[in-house]
Amino acid sequence: MSDIAERIRGLLATRLKLVKTAEELSDEAPLFGPGGLGLDSIDALELVLGLEKEFGVVIEDRATAVQVLASIRTIAEFVESRGKG
Amino acid sequence: MGRVVLVTGGGRGIGRSIALALADPGDFVGINYRRDEEAASGVLAEVRGRGADGMLLQADVTDLGQVRSMVKALVSHRDRIDVLINNAGGTRDGLLAMMDSADWDAVLDVNLKGVFHCCKVVSRQMITQRSGVIVNVSSLSGITGLPGQTNYAAAKGGVNAFTRSLAQEVARYGIRVNAVAPGLVEGETTARMPAAQREHLLSIVPMGRMATAEEVAAVVRFLASEAASYIIGQVIQVTGGV
Repeated sequence: MSDIAERIRGLLATRLKLVKTAEELSDEAPLFGPGGLGLDSIDALELVLGLEKEFGVVIEDRATAVQVLASIRTIAEFVESRGKG
Repeated sequence: MGRVVLVTGGGRGIGRSIALALADPGDFVGINYRRDEEAASGVLAEVRGRGADGMLLQADVTDLGQVRSMVKALVSHRDRIDVLINNAGGTRDGLLAMMDSADWDAVLDVNLKGVFHCCKVVSRQMITQRSGVIVNVSSLSGITGLPGQTNYAAAKGGVNAFTRSLAQEVARYGIRVNAVAPGLVEGETTARMPAAQREHLLSIVPMGRMATAEEVAAVVRFLASEAASYIIGQVIQVTGGV
């Protein structure tokens, strides 16, 4: 799981240009919404497409995206649950 | 290497002309059709005659699963898609007070939901590429309305607004989205019209004639080309002045 979490941090750094922030983020820190990093729906789309390219996981709808992209931990769990990573 | 192009409803009429107009040597043209495989095969042969290559893609654009399979099959050839032409459409004309819900739904589905499905799936690939062009084939009916076409006009009016919105959404990824809105075009639909209706419609066209499918395709080709590199979110009317 920690290897997947590091790869997700790498995506946040490269695709969302959050280099320093990504390094410092805990697995539990909220990415979106109140208390989050001020990311918007365009960032969410970038992350969805980045996850598809990096891990081969597909997020097709908004409801799933909101659930999965809550934190690095929830994304990692989703990737593992799909048997990827 | 040339471009990868997808033309929905590419088997006849305006779709056929667009497929041929976009078939330069080295290009790869996916010709989508719903039922008429023979007609689509004929277009593919013409595409190959121009030095391009391509494939037939059977799919109903109103079915998201079929659209996903279609796009996956096309992208697998050169790992990209450069141009999407949403041409698949159709009419079921009738006065609103007597219109069946089925006729309303069918026309909205093929003309508007089909555009949603194809753009939703293809735009993800284009965003990954950071490049692409989408041209939606709309209609003058979606701008001026036409008696007997409340469903078609609603769908095409929707396509026009959709085009403007999507253009603003994806411009940052290097994707350009525009539409063409033809008026009367020579072909099967206008040939089926009652003569009196056709004459009445022609009487309000300043140029006094219908467009050819090739004239509409030429505008689509322009919008898909680098010559239109700073044009997005536009609905170009090809109407002879109406």
